Amino acid sequence: MQFDIAIIGAGVVGTAIARDLSRFDLRVILLEARADFGDESSKGNSALMTAGFDTPRGTLERQLVTRGFIRYQTEAPAMGLPIRRVGALTLAWSDEQRAIVEHEVAGARADGFSSVTLLDGADVLRRWPHFSPGIQCAMWAPEECIADPFSTPYAYVLDAVANGVVYRPSFAVKRADRLTNGWRLEEAKGQAVTSRLVVNSGGLRADKVEGLAGYSDFVVRPRRGQYLVLDKAARSLHDVIALPTPTPTTRGILIAPTIFGNVIVGPTAEEVSDPDDRRTTPEGLAKLREAMHRMAPALEQFPVNTVFSGMRPATDRSEYQIIPRLSERWVTVAGIRSTGFSGALGIAEHVASLLVPLFVDARRKTTTNAIVVPDLAETSQRPWQDNARIEADPRYGEIICHCERVTRGEIENAMASRIPPRTLKALKRRTRAMFGRCQGFYCGARIDAIFNSGRNSEHT
Amino acid sequence: MISTSPDVLIVGAGAAGLAAAIALADAGVADIVVIDRDDAPGGLPRFCHHPGFGWEYAHYPRTGPGFARYMLNAADRPNIRILCKTTMISINAGPSVQIVGPETSYTELLPKAVILATGIRESNRGNLCVPGIRPERGIFTTGMLQQLVARRDGQLDQFRNLTVIGTEHVAFSALLTARHGGATVRHMIGCEHRIFSFPIMRLLAGVLAARIHLDTELLEIDGSSERVEALVVRQGGTTRRIACDGIVFSAGWTPETAAFVGSAVEVDPATGGIAIDQAMRSSLPGVFAAGNVLRPVESSGWAACEGRRAGQLAAKYLAGELSGVRGALHLRPGKGLKYVVPQYWDGPFVSPAGVEPLRPSARVAGDTKGALTLLSDSGREKLGKFQRLLQTRRINFSLAKQTLNSDAVIDVS
Repeated sequence: MQFDIAIIGAGVVGTAIARDLSRFDLRVILLEARADFGDESSKGNSALMTAGFDTPRGTLERQLVTRGFIRYQTEAPAMGLPIRRVGALTLAWSDEQRAIVEHEVAGARADGFSSVTLLDGADVLRRWPHFSPGIQCAMWAPEECIADPFSTPYAYVLDAVANGVVYRPSFAVKRADRLTNGWRLEEAKGQAVTSRLVVNSGGLRADKVEGLAGYSDFVVRPRRGQYLVLDKAARSLHDVIALPTPTPTTRGILIAPTIFGNVIVGPTAEEVSDPDDRRTTPEGLAKLREAMHRMAPALEQFPVNTVFSGMRPATDRSEYQIIPRLSERWVTVAGIRSTGFSGALGIAEHVASLLVPLFVDARRKTTTNAIVVPDLAETSQRPWQDNARIEADPRYGEIICHCERVTRGEIENAMASRIPPRTLKALKRRTRAMFGRCQGFYCGARIDAIFNSGRNSEHT
Repeated sequence: MISTSPDVLIVGAGAAGLAAAIALADAGVADIVVIDRDDAPGGLPRFCHHPGFGWEYAHYPRTGPGFARYMLNAADRPNIRILCKTTMISINAGPSVQIVGPETSYTELLPKAVILATGIRESNRGNLCVPGIRPERGIFTTGMLQQLVARRDGQLDQFRNLTVIGTEHVAFSALLTARHGGATVRHMIGCEHRIFSFPIMRLLAGVLAARIHLDTELLEIDGSSERVEALVVRQGGTTRRIACDGIVFSAGWTPETAAFVGSAVEVDPATGGIAIDQAMRSSLPGVFAAGNVLRPVESSGWAACEGRRAGQLAAKYLAGELSGVRGALHLRPGKGLKYVVPQYWDGPFVSPAGVEPLRPSARVAGDTKGALTLLSDSGREKLGKFQRLLQTRRINFSLAKQTLNSDAVIDVS
């Protein structure tokens, strides 16, 4: 089949582009190298939905993150995606930091982020007494949100597929051949797809994909970020995104609540050569503990549930690498650094606005099919709390993962999805099962059994 | 359907919970409900297919599943109702207990008394913050490994070369479990200078061809996003890679008290378990606790003995012969001790007739020599003889002859 647009890479950006393009009469295919979507940069980040005030002024990144944030507020709830406005504090303990924070507040307000204000240090400590004493002032950005980083690309890809996009996981493009009328993309075993236009949203591997087509405008510089996940008990003390004062080189290590009811500390920022080197290191974990000790020592009393690393798809350039080579039918959407989660819908809209006019017959569809993903937020009503649902289907009363209170009904639903998880970790991301303090001690074997039986029924 | 106000609600159908139910039934209590969140009753011993279970309770050698069956047979009584797949969500004064299950939905129970026997879980790689990769498969705890083997009927044979972290009894249980599941353990890693289980377990490791590495520090797990390839360790200043395709963490225990965080049930930071007095009463009136939810792991037989005693005491409470309010005097661990159980004491307490005697216990913070000593308002008093005290062994002592009138400390001197 000849496609109009082939998107390479089903991270949060690629899936969002696929979703936006699915609104038009276009034949779109979404190719993903790994077995599951969102399995690289999109799975390991702080999951902040940011209004964009701390992106560089005057850049395309600023414009698209700001737009993405607005779209997410509008469109996420209808897809079942939770969003919580918790606000962000940028904290200053020294005179030097105070000057920077005051400058940032003035800058943000001048840029139109009118809700951003300067808080007095004493006021901050009255409301959040668990921070280290001596806070001089803080920038308060009340609109900053937390959201679900795993269900977001899931919703985008389900929506895209429900509206006609073809999704091909485990399709790692190894060859790109220029045709007179587009491109031929081939994977390792020789299967090929032809398309009139290609979007390279290859994230950590975007430069390799560029190379297949003969382009070399940038080099991906994977930047690893390690995190600590604190037990849910910590959430009773810490309910706000807390950032240190930025330095010229880094935004630093933040402490933030997660939509799943935990508190995360991270990320570190380490340039690594291998985009798959998602190790945690003794040095990195020590830095996180040190940051927690410096900012909020009261959090040290809580147990750590787990540690993980994410990988940001930074490049050797500071700006987003959105390169519309329209006459060559190759559009690059790379270098999305650390703002892909917030910016995805803004980026998708921008990319669609570039591409759709090229296809003169591509009318906007008059109807779209809606999808809803399970709301995994800790503060939303969970299936185990919903007696009407349990009485209709007792599987929602059988909690399998006790730490996160995930029921058999939810796990079996995830297995029966139109896009079922193909790895155990993908099942975790769809349901939260095994995310908690016991890390599968109690439920690992039962979830393994449900996963295996779900996979088997898929094969038969 | 179960009644919403049973005489006693027992949370957990493991060794302690079932022993409590049996004791209550023996005492003639009419309506005993046991809930368990797993899909079958019997607790963790169900998954441990090797001998060594229930000795202190039943004085007969049994395997884990054998002991679970023995307890379930004994608990097969008309006045005991066991409800599985049913989870306690929270507990409040009353006592009022919120539960959810396929049969009950989300509902509130108002039992006259509660016995908490929620057991224990192992520390895992995440809790221990062991650096390195996080592969799709190949990192376990012993408990998870045991369940995988028991629930899959073996089939661990894709793991040819496991490494076990830890040298407690349970680490050797992991050796046997792995063998039962068709996998092989080649290495065991201990960070201390001796194995924490009985010295004779070295022989077992020898017979099963597992090499024990002591004084060894974990540095990193190496491999790919799919699988484990090696464990990097440091031993005597030398860093080395131990090739393996799976890692079993058997390195410490945490009482399962998650449902009590932020509740009125006090948890002792020293044990990580529910703080009780000498009558097994928690800080919530009418709520007793027993078994491994009290402190890091003891044997199933010991847990069952505690459960039996909690059942006997709860029956006395229901008969109006015992107050449900926990004693107010503190019993604190002093120099050299990590914890003491019970943590509280009721001044004029006398164990009621028909209730087996209390067996207070303690653990030292590190291996030492000395004698347990009670410091109370009547001065210092030795509770045992001068001896070698190991952090891996429970130290039992008696306070039967002492009368406590104020807070007291137990230390090593």
